[in-house]
Amino acid sequence: MSTFDIPIGPMHPALPEPLLLKLELEGETVVGVDFDVSYMHRGIEKLLEAKTYFQGLPLVERICGICNAAHGLCYTLNVEKLYDKEIPPRAQYLRLVVEELSRIHSHLLWLGIAAFEIGFNTMFMYTWRDREAVMDMLEAITGNRVTTEYSQIGGVRRDIPPNLADKLLKTMDIVEERTKYYVKVALSERTIAKRTQGVGYLSPEDAKATCAVGPVLRASGVKNDIRADDPYAAHADVPFNVITYDTCDVFARIVVRAQELFECVNMIRTAMKNLPQGPFRVKLPMKPNAGEALTRVEAPRGELFHYTLSEGALKPYRYKVRTPTLANLGALRSMLTSKGRYVVNIGDVPISYGSIDPCICCTARVHLFDLKKGKSWVWTLDELRERSKRGKLLP
Amino acid sequence: MSFEQYVVETLKTVVFPGFVFIFFLSLFYEWFDRKFYARLQNRVGPLYTGFYGLLQPLADFIKLLSKEDIVPKKVDPLLFTMTPLFTLALSIFATLLLPILSNQGIVSFNGDVIVSILILTFICITVFYAGLSTYNRYAVIGAERLFLQMIGYEIPLTLSVVGVALSAQSLLLSDIVLSQERWWYILGPQALGFIVFVFAAQAELERIPFDLPEAEQEIIAGWNIDYSGRRLAMFRLARNIELVFLCGLATTFFLGGPLGPTIEGYTPLFYTFYFVVKSLFVLAVLTVVRALFARLRIDQVESFCWKYLLPLALFQFVLVRLIL
Repeated sequence: MSTFDIPIGPMHPALPEPLLLKLELEGETVVGVDFDVSYMHRGIEKLLEAKTYFQGLPLVERICGICNAAHGLCYTLNVEKLYDKEIPPRAQYLRLVVEELSRIHSHLLWLGIAAFEIGFNTMFMYTWRDREAVMDMLEAITGNRVTTEYSQIGGVRRDIPPNLADKLLKTMDIVEERTKYYVKVALSERTIAKRTQGVGYLSPEDAKATCAVGPVLRASGVKNDIRADDPYAAHADVPFNVITYDTCDVFARIVVRAQELFECVNMIRTAMKNLPQGPFRVKLPMKPNAGEALTRVEAPRGELFHYTLSEGALKPYRYKVRTPTLANLGALRSMLTSKGRYVVNIGDVPISYGSIDPCICCTARVHLFDLKKGKSWVWTLDELRERSKRGKLLP
Repeated sequence: MSFEQYVVETLKTVVFPGFVFIFFLSLFYEWFDRKFYARLQNRVGPLYTGFYGLLQPLADFIKLLSKEDIVPKKVDPLLFTMTPLFTLALSIFATLLLPILSNQGIVSFNGDVIVSILILTFICITVFYAGLSTYNRYAVIGAERLFLQMIGYEIPLTLSVVGVALSAQSLLLSDIVLSQERWWYILGPQALGFIVFVFAAQAELERIPFDLPEAEQEIIAGWNIDYSGRRLAMFRLARNIELVFLCGLATTFFLGGPLGPTIEGYTPLFYTFYFVVKSLFVLAVLTVVRALFARLRIDQVESFCWKYLLPLALFQFVLVRLIL
């Protein structure tokens, strides 16, 4: 049987962001897949080199519209490592609260998207309605619905007053109750099970081999969570369970994300109960010490990685971000290729793709242009290796 | 036929309960479907155009008619133009069979039960050609899915009607209506047939959980991806009229058609009212089904139709046969 190519994207109703999936089909079966993520290069890393550390934060927050709390947190933790100063514990707790709130909002949003990808519009509308409660809470705490910029270098921007804390706990009750309902629906609704069970299979070996991160990895039964393995904000003091599930399919990813919602709710409750007294911010000088820093944060989508190289100047010499979606693209390729008895139907592509909770505009990093010759290209790994040997990439 | 009779018959066909009435009814049904669907999902739905957005479907229709007429280079021009017209013509003709004013439709002949099912197949085939005529990869996949789906639901749909025809001992829609004067078929073993009919109608109309031929997230718009402007308007209108037709057909087969208690002299008006109310009930059922499920995959649609719908329809058929 001859195959034919079908492009999904870069503009496609199932994809909110520009990604090109080049599918090779035999009838309705996907036999090969290739993708191109370089439609959304924004040059953020280069821009960061031209800004002071304090000016960089608003830009970093705009890498991603959904996990911006994680990006901001990662950036501030990373830069703070360059100073020799203790950050007040109250700030660390407040950071955790906002980070977990944004995780709830991200996971609820993802549940809706997943339902939408399989054509279950009713659940999509419901989860997004209840996500509004969390968004309102974020707005009340930080002043912004989306780009919160709560975490600042040296602490957080403002405190959570007691009356707001009560409101937050009440919202958590609502979220918990609604999440219970969604878990019930997701687990008992036959059509959801039919469309997700056994779909987008990613074996634990493949997950490790392709360096998958976050809920995708945990849904393949691998216990890995930066919050537990390498505690950053106040995670060492706030206990939680690392959720894993062993069916390794899209259904497992739904279950893992839904169960994580409960963990988030409990973490926020514990953090609010044990909130230490004291200042919520310390003043830090404009210039950090020279050196390098590397920070990992568990963003809603998985492990987020920030690196900075400082020369002790106002501005970073080099800033590097690796987003979870980039790490999960390899896993996506493994999910989308039919192998043996496991067949990927074209109808399974959107939900498999959606199950990694993709965020493409965080991901696109390097795209090279030569304006004089009028061409653009992307360096392959081998070329990069060659260049690094010749010392062209290093400062 | 005298002149007066001629005028009355023409008015019946063209105005009421013919084309004009069906046109506005179909727009109203689309509004009801959208509004009810939206309310089930905690949304407001159409709101601003007219009373509670009642004019929104009409506005959409007019807007589409006024859009630029795009014919992509590589399409088959004849099929590309003719298929929307055929689909619309077929669905309008189908509604003439519906008994609305009395127990008889505007067109009534022996065997119109079979013709009504046949037209549904014709519409499906026309749409299949509409998809193929654009040579678009998504459209081809959509058309392929449409046909596969038809293979699945067609036989259960026909079988569900067979049970009814068997009980009425007739292949005339008017006889089927009259035989339900005392007792609607939905209250008997044909209730199973009603369930089969509802799911098959959902598949025929390409609505969730059977909206694979135009699955937005998978193949964008499927078979109608290259249609725009007035061609798309015609397809949408044809779909709406088909919605009226299928709801009306379900009413005729299972809910006693337009029959009900009336006041002497106003019978046609009462009958029209009953018809609309009953078919709205069917539409509400269809909408709830649409809101409750996720979209199935094509292999799952096939197995659902052959493993559940077909045995159910056969069981109903046997049950009816035993009772007779």
